[in-house]
Amino acid sequence: MYAEHFSEPATSHVASAPIEHQFYPYASNGGTILAIAGADYALLAGDTRHITGYSINTRFRPSIHTLENLGGPERAIVVAANGFSADGDALVRRLAQRAEWYTYNHNKPLSVSACARLVQTMLYGKRTFPYYVHTIVAGLDESGRGEVYSFDPVGSYEREQCRAGGSAASLLMPFLDNQVNKKNQYDAATGLPQVATDLPLEETLKLVKDAFSSVTERHIHVGDYLEIKIVTKEGVKVEYFPLKRD
Amino acid sequence: MGGFSFDNYQRNKFLTAKGYPVPTATATGTTIVGCRFDGGVVIAADTRATEGEIVADKNCEKLHRMSPNIWCAGAGTAADCEMVTQLISSNLELHAMSTGRAPRVVTCLTMLKQHLFKYQGHVGAYLIVAGCDPTGPKLFSIHAHGSTDVGYYLSLGSGSMAAMATLESKWKSSMTKQEAMDLCAEAIEAGIWNDLGSGSNVDMCVMEVNKPAVLHRNYRTPNERSIKQKSYVFPRGTTAYLNEKVKPMIKPVAYDIFEETVTSTGGEQMEIDG
Amino acid sequence: MSDPSSINGGAIVAMVGKDCVAIACDMRLGMQALTVSNDFPKIYQYNNTFIGLAGLATDVLTLSEVFRYKVNMYNLREERDIEPETFANLVSSTLYEKRFGPYFVGPIVAGINSKTGKPYICGFDLIGCINFAKDFVVGGTTSHQLFGMCESLWEPDLEPEDLFETISQALMNAQDRDAMSGAGGLVYIITKDKIVKRLLKTRQD
Repeated sequence: MYAEHFSEPATSHVASAPIEHQFYPYASNGGTILAIAGADYALLAGDTRHITGYSINTRFRPSIHTLENLGGPERAIVVAANGFSADGDALVRRLAQRAEWYTYNHNKPLSVSACARLVQTMLYGKRTFPYYVHTIVAGLDESGRGEVYSFDPVGSYEREQCRAGGSAASLLMPFLDNQVNKKNQYDAATGLPQVATDLPLEETLKLVKDAFSSVTERHIHVGDYLEIKIVTKEGVKVEYFPLKRD
Repeated sequence: MGGFSFDNYQRNKFLTAKGYPVPTATATGTTIVGCRFDGGVVIAADTRATEGEIVADKNCEKLHRMSPNIWCAGAGTAADCEMVTQLISSNLELHAMSTGRAPRVVTCLTMLKQHLFKYQGHVGAYLIVAGCDPTGPKLFSIHAHGSTDVGYYLSLGSGSMAAMATLESKWKSSMTKQEAMDLCAEAIEAGIWNDLGSGSNVDMCVMEVNKPAVLHRNYRTPNERSIKQKSYVFPRGTTAYLNEKVKPMIKPVAYDIFEETVTSTGGEQMEIDG
Repeated sequence: MSDPSSINGGAIVAMVGKDCVAIACDMRLGMQALTVSNDFPKIYQYNNTFIGLAGLATDVLTLSEVFRYKVNMYNLREERDIEPETFANLVSSTLYEKRFGPYFVGPIVAGINSKTGKPYICGFDLIGCINFAKDFVVGGTTSHQLFGMCESLWEPDLEPEDLFETISQALMNAQDRDAMSGAGGLVYIITKDKIVKRLLKTRQD
């Protein structure tokens, strides 16, 4: 009985089916962006942390780009494409080139709405192998009011009052609904729903800073520095604020 | 009663087959370290608990007491660390009563590893166990499958690489208590800043020979929340509601005392085995 | 295919104020996209402790009954009410018992300790890891949105009426951004002498 002990055939550890390895062409580099349109300004804010997995690649990688040389300073457009940063960079670089050519060919500055439509065609052009990004474009419209357009990875877009994109978008959007658009708030005296009014720039900046300090607390991908680009009729102003680095 | 109940196993297996897998539990995504010094041992941990990419708890306690002089830092699945340390701590106390001796770190280590091995790694507890017992200061680590290691300095968790980089640079064989505390705090901070799974504060426990263990909860707090730009308190009446019910708090019924007499037992004390 | 904790949907949140706690939930019961009920509260009361249960609805109902049984036995044996801290540990052990075949819930507990008067809240993952918080705890499919709202809106030492506003706004705006929850809101404000229960006026879509 003890002589016939069980011995495994040499091939028993080989997988019964072939194992296939594949190259996955996307990665997530973290980060969160937020855009708000006001009566005479538009702002695009984002954190500057760049990550892969659980590691930080760099704490300061500005990801909000300004499309310049489109006309006067009030014609500047700011754009951010958040998600997979290789795709985001490629998209923005191509967009900058297309915007510049537009001005040469048409002899007029690229308007924000035209830029938005251009972004849609660029994104849909790669419908079968998409740019893995959430894109937001902001600037001033013909009448000087703030304009924000946001896109899905394949080009579906809409003009909005405010939009958050990236890792912590789900944390930010309800806060924006409540504080910018006064949703679910009633006037204590009249009992009528509160109406959203245009917020002055200083108020909006406070909201943006608080929004980002809150998501920094709760989302591991957000932190390090906050970059805010504000487009007004004077042009684009950029501000940086520190965020928690843990 | 007690122990694991596998009642839901069949139902959950069915659900997984139907495409509804079991969701992930909270993992501590942690940095924990331990370090020996002349006359004792110190362990430290960060305080962030994550659920995927979200921080579930900003100041959780990862240092567990196995016995008054044996403490344990846990990484991996948070519930598993908490439950396995509570179970073995309880058994260790009973064991100490049975032997009539102070519990030893190797005993705690063996109880933990035999439990974890029994569950073949499914109990996701990765622990650094340290303490001082009659045989001196001890420092060990345990992995979920049941393997153990000995060392003068150890680190575990997703931030272990960052912490170990600090430990490997700055550790020396003869250190004072304060030097060891500073080294461990620095190693945890390396994890806090450089590992996304770790963050917030540093907790520390110092176990010195012939002294009671000292827990330094929030030994360092380099991540206080900045003051917000504005207050978001709403004017009263902002929220509309359809109806309201007010109920008094159910107070426990007080028993009426009719008569009270105190009788003495006659001076006989209960015999206790000395 | 979604995971079991997001078939039925739900949002629960609890916050600490000045000598008071508040706990709130949405009222939706769904089957993926279909809303089956708009009157499915997820908060249960045992003595003076409250538990919010979000996740797979069958487990919500089963656990509410398991805890009712366990608390009743506690009351009979101990001849007193259960305190929130003790109840939290009871929840933790009940969930960890099913470590390898868990209940698909994310409970939160809220209450005021009757002896010390101290407010107590905590949350759990599905296998019972206690997340003890001094500010707020969230749960359900809306947890991300609730984290964002609570982290921005909450501040310490809010009076009961102000805490009501804060928790209600946090709940309503968060659930409006989550397709799987909504259809109403229920808020309990608990102080040492009374419990106020309010049904919120919310979007019904």
